[in-house]
Amino acid sequence: MDLEMVKYLAELGKLEFTDEQLEKTASEMTDIIDLMDGVKEFDVEYDAHKDNHNVFLDGLRPDVKHESMPTEKVLQNAVNRDNAFVVPKVVE
Amino acid sequence: MDSSLKTIRAQREALDTKKVSARELAEEYIANIKKRDGEIKSYITVTEELALAQADAAQKIIDSGESKPLTGIPMAIKDNICTEGVRTTCASKILENFVPPYNATVMERLNGQGIVMLGKTSMDEFAMGGSTQTSAFAKTKNPYNTDCVPGGSSGGSAAAVAAELCTASLGSDTGGSIRQPAAFCGVTGIKPTYSRVSRFGLVAFASSFDQIGPIAHSAYDCAAVLNHICGFDPHDGTSARNEVPDFTAKIGAPLKGMKLALPKEFFAEGIDDEIRKSVLAAADVYKSLGAELVECSMPSLKYAVPAYYLISSAEAASNLSRYDGIKYGHRTAEADSYEELIKKSRSEGFGDEVKRRILLGNYALSSGYYDAYYGKAMALRQVIRSEYDSIFEKCDAIVTPTTPAVAYRPEEQVSDPVKMYQADICTVTVNIAGLPAISTPCGYNKDGMPIGLSIIGKRFDEQTVIQLADAFEQTFAPVAPKLN
Repeated sequence: MDLEMVKYLAELGKLEFTDEQLEKTASEMTDIIDLMDGVKEFDVEYDAHKDNHNVFLDGLRPDVKHESMPTEKVLQNAVNRDNAFVVPKVVE
Repeated sequence: MDSSLKTIRAQREALDTKKVSARELAEEYIANIKKRDGEIKSYITVTEELALAQADAAQKIIDSGESKPLTGIPMAIKDNICTEGVRTTCASKILENFVPPYNATVMERLNGQGIVMLGKTSMDEFAMGGSTQTSAFAKTKNPYNTDCVPGGSSGGSAAAVAAELCTASLGSDTGGSIRQPAAFCGVTGIKPTYSRVSRFGLVAFASSFDQIGPIAHSAYDCAAVLNHICGFDPHDGTSARNEVPDFTAKIGAPLKGMKLALPKEFFAEGIDDEIRKSVLAAADVYKSLGAELVECSMPSLKYAVPAYYLISSAEAASNLSRYDGIKYGHRTAEADSYEELIKKSRSEGFGDEVKRRILLGNYALSSGYYDAYYGKAMALRQVIRSEYDSIFEKCDAIVTPTTPAVAYRPEEQVSDPVKMYQADICTVTVNIAGLPAISTPCGYNKDGMPIGLSIIGKRFDEQTVIQLADAFEQTFAPVAPKLN
């Protein structure tokens, strides 16, 4: 995997790397992708009509209003002011 | 501790007959933690005050004659399960100071039983790893040899049981994270069928694999915990509505006529000789108990590791996008823009392995790579499920090693991601297919390190898996680690 690809993936994942970290990560990701390439030799297509055993969505709960979590609990792990999350200025 | 009093079964009897009080039991474990956990490092947070208060509350219930199966039982909880008011870090700097405002459903259920929570156990960061050495706070050691890893990601939960720092614990298993550390630490751990246990309040890693389960000293004890954490939860739309049976019900039933499959690929090259011999010897024990051994094949096993890592990393990359430094979690000290705040917070908060999984997941989902990687892995997932379905048409359960090698020294492979991923070969297919599986000790290698026997069952047939594990345990004399 080249450095440009690592930079692109880092951007998608909202991650920053120093130049030194980028080099090391590119080398590690190359080895990892080599391992992942194993799936390519298996000649099979995904069948969208096949049953997906893992998910049971046949009984969604009724659309009934419930009390929300109190604001102070929602904010207890955040930098907050005036009952709101604080973020950097986004509008000049 | 009196070794006859280390199981849930024995403690229940001792508590109910007043041979021991809930506080005495809790105090004994807290003393063990103070004595041993400086070296083992199985806990990230010890909740001594809370544990003693819970023990006193449990004693009142016991004294009133209303005790439930887990009332007063000292337990440890993996640090990716939300505990209201108790720090839950996921062993990550990004959640170092996170105090959940609510309990996971499993905690509501265990608290309803009146358990005593001793603390939160260490793990690989965000449950990504098999060594507990990516923990930002406590790199847990193996109680059988503290130069070796305890496995992972639920390494703290397994080591705590093995070192008698709790009676039982909860772990979570996305690709083997309950079974592999249970095998490395010589204890028993079960991953239930996907959807058996609600994940509400479990910090999400890979949502189509993640499952919570117990680690304990025996299959019976695992069943005793499982009995009280399963069942439908309106907060988790994927949780199953299937009836929750008594998971101990089949324990002791004869094995005569049962068919046990041995897929040859699980015993092939790459599996340590001592492990192969030990697991095949365990299979012979089943034969002597009346079960029939059936040879079979699982040709797709060689593709299982990449298929698992592609799907789980894709899901992880999406799940971990919620960490932005704004709503909760680490927030960088200084940032001039929204974008910079998110990038810096994430880059400072996540460790190297978590970052690699995010990169891999985004790669697998990227335009131009999606079909070749994620699409192909999803196709393989269907193939692996079909192969399991075919085996289960003819057999009641499958017997395999839990791991290809025993616990190792961290310097041997922790710094090599590819080597770490390949070590998951024996466990990941179970998660891919959503099946229940248990690991219980079946021997020790020449250096005295534990070997795990894995029994895989049909969907929702934990009862048979537990029955088989217990049947073997009745014939096996486990060797406890040497504890100070």
